[in-house]
Parts: sequence; C-alpha cells; structure tokens
Amino acid sequence: MVMDKLGSSLQDALKKLVNSGRIDEKSVNDVVKDIQRALLQADVNVQLVMNMSKQIKERALKEEVPSGMNPREHVIRIVYQELINIIGEGTEINLEPQTIMMIGLQGSGKTTTTSKLARYFQKKGLKPAVICADTFRPGAYHQLKSLCDKNSIPFYGEEGNEDSLGIVERGMDKLGKYDVLIIDTAGRHSLEQDLIEEMEQINSIAKPDKKLLVLDAAIGQQASEQARAFNESIGISGVVITKLDGTAKGGGALSAVSETNSSIAFIGVGETSGDLEKFEPDRFISRLLGMGDIRSLIEKA
Amino acid sequence: FKREFVLDEDDIQDTLWDLEMGLLENDIALSVSEAIVESVKNELVGTRRRIGSDTGKIVEDALKKSLYNIMSANTFDFDEYLKNAEKPVHIVFVGVNGTGKTTTIAKMANLLQNDNYSTVIAAGDTFRAGAIDQIESHANKINTKLIKHQEMGDPAAVVYDAVQYAKSRSIDVVLSDTAGRMHTNVNLMSQLEKVCRVSSPDLIIFVDEAVAGNDAVERAQQFNDNIPIDGSILTKADADSKGGAAISIAYITGKPILYLGIGQGYEDLKKFDPQWFVDQLFE
Ligand SMILES: Nc1nc2c(ncn2[C@@H]2O[C@H](COP(=O)(O)OP(=O)(O)OP(=O)(O)O)[C@@H](O)[C@H]2O)c(=O)[nH]1
Ligand SMILES: Nc1nc2c(ncn2[C@@H]2O[C@H](COP(=O)(O)OP(=O)(O)OP(=O)(O)O)[C@@H](O)[C@H]2O)c(=O)[nH]1
Ligand SMILES: [Mg+2]
Ligand SMILES: [Mg+2]
Repeated sequence: MVMDKLGSSLQDALKKLVNSGRIDEKSVNDVVKDIQRALLQADVNVQLVMNMSKQIKERALKEEVPSGMNPREHVIRIVYQELINIIGEGTEINLEPQTIMMIGLQGSGKTTTTSKLARYFQKKGLKPAVICADTFRPGAYHQLKSLCDKNSIPFYGEEGNEDSLGIVERGMDKLGKYDVLIIDTAGRHSLEQDLIEEMEQINSIAKPDKKLLVLDAAIGQQASEQARAFNESIGISGVVITKLDGTAKGGGALSAVSETNSSIAFIGVGETSGDLEKFEPDRFISRLLGMGDIRSLIEKA
Repeated sequence: FKREFVLDEDDIQDTLWDLEMGLLENDIALSVSEAIVESVKNELVGTRRRIGSDTGKIVEDALKKSLYNIMSANTFDFDEYLKNAEKPVHIVFVGVNGTGKTTTIAKMANLLQNDNYSTVIAAGDTFRAGAIDQIESHANKINTKLIKHQEMGDPAAVVYDAVQYAKSRSIDVVLSDTAGRMHTNVNLMSQLEKVCRVSSPDLIIFVDEAVAGNDAVERAQQFNDNIPIDGSILTKADADSKGGAAISIAYITGKPILYLGIGQGYEDLKKFDPQWFVDQLFE
C-alpha cells in the first residue's frame, strides 16, 4: 500500500518533469527526492542511497538530453543505469558439475533454498545431492532430510554428530559421484566468531565452486555489514534473496552486492521446492522503486 | 537585548535531517522516522529558547523523549501479569517465516521454569519440514512437556489439546508455536485466526527480528489487524544491529516490546528496557 502511493508519487514527479519540458534543477531535485524515499523504504543502505542520488542529480543536469528523448525518459534512464551498474545482470549458475556452499544469517532461508536449488538442478537433468553441515540448530538434520526425501534427492548427514567438518568430508566422499553437491550450513552472523571460524574451515575442506549468501528480503541496514563480513571471511560468489513473496523489497540485497561486488543469482518466492526463480534485474528494479514495469516505462517514454 | 529567541524551522532543519538519517541507519522504517521527526519539529518550532543554547542538543533531547514515549507506551508487566493471572495462561507466538518463534518459545519455557512455573509447549507448526523435530528437541533439552500431532495435521487441534492437557494437570503456562507465514498469505492468515479463535489465548505475541528493516512496519500492522497482538519480542538483537525495528513495531501497533532475543542459547532472552534501548540508539 505504502509503496503503491510512493510509486504513484514518483510517477507524478516524473510527469511534472515531462510537462516542464526541460530539465531544471528544481524538478530534478523533486524526482531525486522521491527516488531516495523509494530506495530508503526498500532498505537500500542509507549511504549508498545518498551517493546514488547525488550521482543521479549530477548526471541528469549535466548530460545532454539525447534527441528524441523527453526529460522524464532521460532521468528514468539514468536511475535505471545507476541501479543496473550496481546490480549487474545476475550471477549465472551454470548447469555443470560443481559444489555449492550455502551461507547466511540465522533463519534467512538457507535450508529451504538448498532443497529448492537441488530440485532446480534435478529438473534440468543433472544429478544433485545435498549435505547437511548444520550441526547446530535443533532439527536441522530432519528438516533438510525431509525436504530432500520429498523429491528423492540423495542426502548425507549425521544426526547427533556435532563434527560438521567430518560430516562434510565424509559426505563429499560418499556423494562424489553426483554432479552437483550442495552443502547447507548453520545460520550465523558476523559477531559469532566461533561460527565464522567454523564456516572458514568448512570452506577450506569443501573448496566449493560457488558460495551463495542467502539474504532475507526484509533485512535492513545490516545487509552491507553482514555481507562484507561473510565476503571477507570466505568470499561470496552470489546472493539469493528469499521471501520475496511478502511485501519486503529486498533493498538489502542491493546493498550486499554493492558492498561485495557480487550479484544476485536466484530469488525465493515461497516455502516449497518449486518456489525459486531466476533473478531478473528489471523486475527487481521495478519493485525497488515501487513503479510498474520499468522497461516498458522507458520504452513508452 | 533579548535573552530568548523563538526557534523556527530553519534553525533545526539540518539537525532534523541528520537525525532522520540516523534513525534510518538504525533501521527505523522511513514512514515511522518521518512521523517521529515531524512530531519533534512541531513540538519545537515556535518555542522560546535562551540565546546561546545548543539547538542540536535541544532537538536530540526532544527526539529521545519522543522515542522513549513510543517505547514505553502501554507498558505491560509480564511477570506481574503471570503471577496474578488465572492458570493456565495460554500464549500463542506468531510471525513471518524464520524470525525466531520456535527458539523464543524454548527460551521462554526455560525462563518460566526457572521461575517455578510449569509449562507445556504445543507443536503448532505442523507445516514446515522438521518443525516438530526442532521443537521436540528443544522441549527434551529443557525438559518440558510437548504436545504434538502428525506433520500436516490441524494446528488448531494441537493447540487445543495442549490447553486441555494444561487444564487437566494444573500446568501454569501453555506456549503455542505456530508456523511462520507471510502476512500477505490470506489462507495462512485465516488459519491463524482459527487457531486463535478455537483456543482463545490470553496473550498473542508477535515475534520479529532486530535485523529487519522497513518491512517490520508492514507485517506488524498486518498481523495486528488480523489477530490483535498483545506485545512483541524482537530476536537476533545480538547481530550487531541497534534494532530500530522495535521502534517501527511499537509505533505501528501501539503494543509493548516485551523481550529481546540476544543469542541462540536458552538464557539469551532479556527483558526489554525502553530507557536502555533508546540510550543505546544514540551511542
Ligand atoms: N514465504 C517464504 N518463506 C521462505 C522462503 N524461503 C524460506 N522460507 C521460510 O523461512 C523459514 C526459515 O527458512 P530456513 O530454510 O529454515 O532458514 P535457514 O537459513 O536454514 O535457518 P537456520 O538454519 O536456522 O539459520 C522457514 O519457515 C522457511 O519455510 C521464501 O522464499 N518465502
Ligand atoms: N543470533 C540469534 N539467532 C537466533 C535468535 N533467535 C533465534 N535465532 C536463530 O534463528 C533461526 C530461526 O529460528 P526459529 O526459532 O526456527 O524461527 P521460527 O520463527 O520458528 O521459524 P519458522 O518456524 O520457520 O517460521 C535459528 O537458527 C535460531 O537459532 C537470537 O536471538 N539470536
Ligand atoms: Mg537451516
Ligand atoms: Mg518455528
């Protein structure tokens, strides 16, 4: 609701820009202010929003409006370009044999996403298998096993054993014949030093090809700091945004990829194994800004 | 020679802006930050001040006071309530996916047992894979009774059974877990309403996390609209965040924050202290 209002106020501001017929500082300021609000409300990092809006303002005033383009189109295009610059086209997860390690904060959706990813590879004709390296959360073993069983995905875990490193070693050994190995790990945050070290050890044993940071769409300003810490610790190859089926906009993921120079691979849109979608930058940007389809807006303009 | 001057908008514009950015950086939702800053502005503009007083300090004090008022509105003394309430007291925990409901129930049961209350837990999340195993494992560790049904069973029936169990054995407190759900999911929200209707809980507690940003407002409002909550608990406050979501949630629901989750251990549940909370925001 709130976002809808914001979206339409953004569009009103953009309309004013058209009617004014030319780019003047006042109308650009108005539009940039609305864009700022939209991004802040979407949980994009405050500093990042301030830097971006400065950049947008400068470019909108300085760059010549290309012929055949109205001022509104000009500004939207700049906003879009700035956002795309940060987001990129998305992380490509190739359909080939590989090891993937899932990491992230507590409750962000790692285990669910592990089973969704396994299902994704299975549907594409590869043979995935899953290892449960979360020896910390009560019930973690049963959760992942039961999700895997539903789709007959091979699973390795050792109930009751707290030696996550040994489990990963034995799991990789046992499941070596499968194409894609996905390792689920316990939730942790940057201040839990022993858990961060455990993650580093799992990483050095498993030597995963891809390390996916799983981020809740609703995460706020902590997104940058947490992503920075995970990246510094083991490096991240890409981000998965979960729970985009609610009302959260996922701006934290933008902050995270900006902080770590990575990009987004998938989005989660529900609790079941089919609720995983390839990341589409245009749709994501539209949602962030609370506007309709940004592509068609640009094309219509 | 005037000794006083009248504070006008220009005097405090910059300070207000800085403070608003500060609120946003601490995860207080934009709509809530704006409303708070606006009310501080209205309160201050037009008031008389002594010449030479520090406007930055005046604004900060007013803001602190306003935040403190939000956080201490409708205080609710949980301990006092429990002591006097007719037993069994039935508490249902609700919230979106993965915020920490199940873990908080285990912590709460542990806390209550330490205070010599007897507890029973209802495994009301019959939906999420492994949810029953998770809460069973907690219940075993803290040594409290668990009432559970089959996976995919009717959550209202489990909760009902737990309440009956407590009544027949004179148990003091029933703690009911529910599956995480999106506030936008109409079916799941009406299922939750049914759980609450059938078991008429004494308290409904909304669980959210300190690392949440703007969405905290949206979901707190939706939950509160669907099944009026009595208070909230904010988890993961140990994750290096100041937990501005607490302010968003208290502001939008008008209900108190009762506890903070500050870790994954059973002892990591701390009574919420509004003064401490507001002070640490400004550190
Ligand atoms: N609505 C919705 N729920 C999701 C999504 N992804 C995960 N969930 C739910 O979020 C909750 C937490 O998911 P988990 O997969 O257990 O999260 P986790 O990161 O493994 O949690 P820990 O292992 O405790 O750190 C569960 O209730 C999931 O069903 C999603 O895309 N949409
Ligand atoms: N660091 C930290 N982690 C917490 C805290 N509270 C819960 N967790 C962790 O967060 C994760 C999710 O907790 P759960 O209790 O399963 O959350 P839930 O709300 O029951 O999740 P669903 O039932 O799937 O919706 C687990 O890994 C918990 O250990 C806390 O205060 N601090
Ligand atoms: Mg997990
Ligand atoms: Mg739960």
